[in-house]
Amino acid sequence: MGVLITPSMIGQVVISGLLAGSLYAMVALGLGLIFGVMRVLNVAHGPLLMMGAYTTFWLFQWIGLNPYLSLLVSMPLLFLVGIALQRFLVRRVVDAPELSSLLLTFGVSIALVNLAQLAFTSDLRSVEYLTGSFVVGPFALSKPRLATCAFAIAITVGAFVFLRSTRLGKAIRAVSQSREVAQVCGIDVQRIHLITFGLGSALAAAGGSLVAVMVAIQPEMGQVYTFKSFLVIVLGGAGNYPGALLGGLLLGLVEQMASLFLTSQVNEAVAYVLLVVVLLIRPTGLLKGRV
Amino acid sequence: MTMTSWKRLAPVALAGVVFASLPLPVAAQTPIKIGASMSVTGTYAKPGTYQKQGYDVCIDELNAKGGILGRKVELVIYDDQSTPATAVRLYEKLITEDKVDAVMGPYSSAVSEAVANVTEKYKKVMVAPLAATTSIFKKGRKYIFMVITPAENYLDGLIDMAAKRGLKTVAIIHEDTLFPKASAAGTVEAAKKKGMQVVLQEAYPKGNTDFSALLVKIKAANPDVIAAGTYFDDAVAITRQMKELNVNPKMFGLTVGGDLPEFYDLLKQNAEYVYGSTQWDESLPYPGQKEFLAAYKAKFKGQEPSYHTAAGYAGCLIYAEAVKKAGSLDADKVRDQLLKMEIKTAFGDYKVEPDGFQIAHKMVMLQWQDGKRIVVWPDDLANGKIRYPTPEWGKR
Repeated sequence: MGVLITPSMIGQVVISGLLAGSLYAMVALGLGLIFGVMRVLNVAHGPLLMMGAYTTFWLFQWIGLNPYLSLLVSMPLLFLVGIALQRFLVRRVVDAPELSSLLLTFGVSIALVNLAQLAFTSDLRSVEYLTGSFVVGPFALSKPRLATCAFAIAITVGAFVFLRSTRLGKAIRAVSQSREVAQVCGIDVQRIHLITFGLGSALAAAGGSLVAVMVAIQPEMGQVYTFKSFLVIVLGGAGNYPGALLGGLLLGLVEQMASLFLTSQVNEAVAYVLLVVVLLIRPTGLLKGRV
Repeated sequence: MTMTSWKRLAPVALAGVVFASLPLPVAAQTPIKIGASMSVTGTYAKPGTYQKQGYDVCIDELNAKGGILGRKVELVIYDDQSTPATAVRLYEKLITEDKVDAVMGPYSSAVSEAVANVTEKYKKVMVAPLAATTSIFKKGRKYIFMVITPAENYLDGLIDMAAKRGLKTVAIIHEDTLFPKASAAGTVEAAKKKGMQVVLQEAYPKGNTDFSALLVKIKAANPDVIAAGTYFDDAVAITRQMKELNVNPKMFGLTVGGDLPEFYDLLKQNAEYVYGSTQWDESLPYPGQKEFLAAYKAKFKGQEPSYHTAAGYAGCLIYAEAVKKAGSLDADKVRDQLLKMEIKTAFGDYKVEPDGFQIAHKMVMLQWQDGKRIVVWPDDLANGKIRYPTPEWGKR
């Protein structure tokens, strides 16, 4: 009953993989940024993404706002939520043993999901804005996924440029490389921490807004992105920002290939096997070191 | 209390005792107690509550008609929190402590399977209206009776419609959990019987949201029909991605999810032409349907019954009918009646094999047409014409 796999099928699946991977990369960059600067693994990253998705959904529902324009609301909104989380909660565990920050953000994650269930119910919601595809030769290019990919790449590149070229971006990288030296050089480390957590949350929110146009959303949609992001930053090299891009695209491709050549039941297993292999061969990730 | 007041009360008390021991007029007899546990909270709270409403409507109707065997009927229901272990304890309590005269089934296959061991042990007849898994009835149990159509037959209608239109190939996909797996296996059998070729069969994990690679394989296999064993989230995701990847089968049918109003709310015009299967629809011309709907809407204002309600209602009526025919609450006599009875209720046909397995009740296939659910199969129950073949995505 198997199907003969042709080159055009592989081509289609590579396209799907890259489209999905670009989103993973952007979302993981947010997680990686926070981890790189503070050594805090933010388990609530996925639920923050979920909040971004609901922001887009409600704006679309209430005032018919274009879901891509709603990025201009969801990102700043979650930037502020991120800053608040950092200011009132995460700040207390930055220098504590890693388990403390895991437990804290895990708690935040559960609270956010439950609040969303209370406020929005567990019903599926969808933003029917862009559906269908462009058919190019043997390939179908999904419109919402293409748009997601374009925005994800633009936002990721924007984040890179920000980190490379602006004063604030350089300060963030400086704190990530050595907090003590940065402090000695006159950088306000607490402020950088606030901004970093805000930025990381805004990247998650962007992911949520883009996901909302592709699939139906519900309060528990986020957790899977926490895990994927974690996988991506370990694959790419924790603290290495371009590594997140490589890791994201790789994860997208591997998942799709596993579904094509094997079944979709094993694609997660294959992704984690890949993680183990990378950790065995290059424990620092594919691109090692920090920016 | 003083001695004097005792003395004064004594004649009254004596009269009471004497009165109580006299043969009484029928209406004053103790009511028949029917016990059940129900998933009022927990994961099955929604369907469980629907089913309980069905029991309530049935009990009201029975009492309005004078009860069973001249006795009023009373429902004793406990919340099993959607947990089989809790339900087992509750059925033990119902039978041994509350000493109920009869029991009815709980919600879901999982809970029914668990409590069937208790009801068998105490030789209590249990009509289980919401147990759809075949294996429950194939373990040599004597006192459990099925009401709804089993999982394996959910997509018989889709295959039948396809075969009648000369379609030759089908791809079958399903979530890799108990119910969708069973429905997929049944669909494979049905397709083979009708001489259709299964060109692809594949499972996907629970919670899957990206179906691209699976749909690429289906597209390459180019089937006439896609049959999917789904719940709800996956039904929505698959439909959307079929459009994105431009997969255009002549027919596309779903087990669960495709029949719900929410399916259309989420997908809008992309739900058009999709087939969904359901156990029951309020438009079906079954006997007693109007009365059932009227009673339901009077009792639960502003709510709509689901198939769980209708099945619960019918299951309770079927049990009552068997007791009337048997003229007794005796388990073996009622069992004999349930085995040979053929009855049609607001939920459709009832007839079981000697192991209690349902063989008469029919699923119906719905098709989304202009935002409405139209019954298109079987022919004798259809309330509209099938729209076939399905046009390409851009033209829906």
